[in-house]
Amino acid sequence: MPVTIADLIALALTGFDVLTVTAEPIEDEYQYVTDLGTVWRARLRAVADARGTEPAPPGTVEAVTALVEEAGRVTDPHRAIDWLSTLPQVTLAAFDEPA
Amino acid sequence: MRFMEARPDGRAVVYAHIQADPLVARAAGLLAEADTTQRLMARAVMNGESPDPATWRTIFPTLFGPAAPLPGDPVRDRSEAVLEVSLLVADRGDQTRSQFRGAIVESLTERLLSARTGPVRRERRILFDGRPTEIHPYDVTVEREGAGEAWDCKWGARGIKPDVLHQLDDARRGAADEGERLLAGLVVFDARRSCEVRLVRVRGPVAPDSVKLVALEGLDRLAGRKPA
Repeated sequence: MPVTIADLIALALTGFDVLTVTAEPIEDEYQYVTDLGTVWRARLRAVADARGTEPAPPGTVEAVTALVEEAGRVTDPHRAIDWLSTLPQVTLAAFDEPA
Repeated sequence: MRFMEARPDGRAVVYAHIQADPLVARAAGLLAEADTTQRLMARAVMNGESPDPATWRTIFPTLFGPAAPLPGDPVRDRSEAVLEVSLLVADRGDQTRSQFRGAIVESLTERLLSARTGPVRRERRILFDGRPTEIHPYDVTVEREGAGEAWDCKWGARGIKPDVLHQLDDARRGAADEGERLLAGLVVFDARRSCEVRLVRVRGPVAPDSVKLVALEGLDRLAGRKPA
């Protein structure tokens, strides 16, 4: 069965979850981290709802896999907060979707 | 309303060396001509962990994948150049790369504004009659008679803080009190969506439309161009 856009968005969300955990020690930014989770998860799920059954475009399986691996390399919580904004944007760019 | 040179403090002296580094000018020059995805790649790489360009080429299939322009095409060549310069910034180490990123956003803002208007200056204070001078200078100003602008530049949405908004709003109100027009705004090298959620939380007493926000997707508007 071919990999779909919904599969890759689900994968991207696992990377997002990892970044959220990494960002946790910065208590002052708890609200911002929560807000980022709310808006970006909603945006990614909207794309999954609209295009989820489409086969993954060429190069996107490797792209999202590498992106999630990169997110897993982030150990600094401050950088993780920056990546909570970056990862969804990069995921959307892979599908040629606006942020 | 008068613009004037900021008296350099210790931070400014140190930061001036970063601002003058040729890598800053090179990165800003490339990003001024880049499209939104290339700018997004720069943001990811400069904030990333992997030093391997192949990893980043994989992560951005619309720039380097099977459907992307071929090597030799000007767009592809720009993508490669943006990747190369972004990895050089990332290689500077945590503390230094943070300063480089800030300087790059300021230099990029200066270049984009200069394509539309002028004179454009850096690190300037704005004085108003009967008002105390703000402590921090504005990153980039447009000192055009009747159409002044004051911009603060941020690498990420997290840099949007109440004091930043307050200072911009105060400048706008000071100009209005003197019957002048001053466009006060934030340039943020981050997604508009992230900036907006940040703004909602930190805006405080600043009115919703008093500070203009230019995010990563809309940077070309500074130059009077539609987003690429």
